[in-house]
Amino acid sequence: MKSGSARSKKLCGKMRTFLPAVAEQLFGDIQKNYEETTQIPDDLLIALKFVFGTCALQALDLVDQRSVTCLSSPSGRKAFQVTGGSGRLYTCFLSCHYCPCPAFTYTVLRRNQGLLCKHILAVYLCQAMAVTQQESVSDQQMSAVLSGTEGP
Amino acid sequence: MTDILTLVFRTLSSQTGQNKDPSAGPPSPAPRSSTLLVGEHRLSRSVLLLAAVTAASELGVRVAFFAQTQIQSLPECLQRCSRITFSYPRTLEELLQQVAGLHESPCPPSLIIIDRLDGFLRGAVAGSHVGFHSGDESRAAHLAALLCDTAAFLTEVLEKRGSSSAPCRAIASFLSDADSGQESRDASATDPVLAVLDRYFQARCTLDQDRSYEAAAAAAQEAWHVYLSGTKIPDDCEDGPALAQEWKLFIFPEGLMEFKLV
Repeated sequence: MKSGSARSKKLCGKMRTFLPAVAEQLFGDIQKNYEETTQIPDDLLIALKFVFGTCALQALDLVDQRSVTCLSSPSGRKAFQVTGGSGRLYTCFLSCHYCPCPAFTYTVLRRNQGLLCKHILAVYLCQAMAVTQQESVSDQQMSAVLSGTEGP
Repeated sequence: MTDILTLVFRTLSSQTGQNKDPSAGPPSPAPRSSTLLVGEHRLSRSVLLLAAVTAASELGVRVAFFAQTQIQSLPECLQRCSRITFSYPRTLEELLQQVAGLHESPCPPSLIIIDRLDGFLRGAVAGSHVGFHSGDESRAAHLAALLCDTAAFLTEVLEKRGSSSAPCRAIASFLSDADSGQESRDASATDPVLAVLDRYFQARCTLDQDRSYEAAAAAAQEAWHVYLSGTKIPDDCEDGPALAQEWKLFIFPEGLMEFKLV
C-alpha cells in the first residue's frame, strides 16, 4: 500500500503523519467510497475493525450521533470536540493525537497497545465522511478549550 | 528547532578548530518543529537561553520563553530585548492557558521555549510535591500536544503572512526522575512521563556529563556530551538517515562555553 496521495493528505492535515500507512490508506478509501456512494462498504468496515479493534464500532456510533464538532475561532485556530456517550466533551487537537479520555491514557500512552481512542477515530471518520459539525467560538473561548479550563 | 540548536552549537564552536565559519560543519538538519532537551537543569537552562538569544539576534525572530521561576541572573540586555518575552506561570494550568492563548497574539513567536517541563508536571497534583503520580502521562501528553499543535498553527500563520520568521519551533527542557540521581541512564526506559513526551517531540537533545579525564585534559571545569537525535520526518529526503549528531561541550572556569563537533 502506498501512502500519501494529495487527496488523502488534505483530510486531517498534519495529524495524519502520526498514522501508519495502512490506517491512512483505509481513511482515504473510506473517504472515496463515501463521496461516491454515501456508504462504507462491508470490506472497509471489516478492515476498520481489524485495524482498530473494538473502538471501531464505538467510533462509528459516535459518527452516527454526529458527535464530532470542529471549533473555529477568528484567529483561524481550530480544534475538534467530541461528545462522549456520557455527554462529556473531549477536546482533540488538529496536528497530533491527544485525547483526555482514560482509554487514551491507558491504552495508547501507558500500555502502547493501540493507535488511538474511539474519540480520535471518530474525528478521522467524520472528516472522511464530511459529517463534522462546525461551530464558531471567540479566540478567548478557543484558548480556554485548548487549555482544558472550560467548555465553549 | 534542531536548526536553531545546531546554529547555537556552531556559533559557539571551537575557534581553534576547523569550524571557524558557523556555516561550516555538517549539513544543517531539516528543521524539526519540536525538540526536547533532556539533562541537568543548570546546563539545559543555559542552552535554552542561548537558543533564545540566537533566535532573536541571528535569525531576528520573536521568542516566547516560559519558566516557572524568575531567572535570577538574567543579563539586562536580555531583559530589554523586545524580541524575547519572558513569562513566569506558576502552575501547569497557568502554563497551559498562556501557551493556548498564543494564537491570540498579533505578533506570534517563531520559537516557544519552556524551561523545566518536569517542574510544571510534578507540581500539578495538589498536596504532593515529590515525584510523578497517576494521571501524569495524560497531563504531560496534553502539554506536549498543545505545544506541538500551537507551533503547527503559528507556522501556518507565519507562512500565510509570507514572513521569513516561519516556521514556529518549540523547545522544552526536562529532567527525568531517573536522571535526578547522580548516575545518568537511559531514562525513557524507566520514566513513563519521558516516554510520553518522546511521542510528541520530533527530536531529542540529550546532555550527558563526561566524567572521564577529558575535561581536565582540555583545562575545562566540566565536559558534556550533547547528542542531537530525531526520528525521520516527511521533509527529510526519503532515503536519508534519521538525525544523529554528537557535540562535545566544554565549560571553562570563567563560565565560557565551547562546543565541538564529534
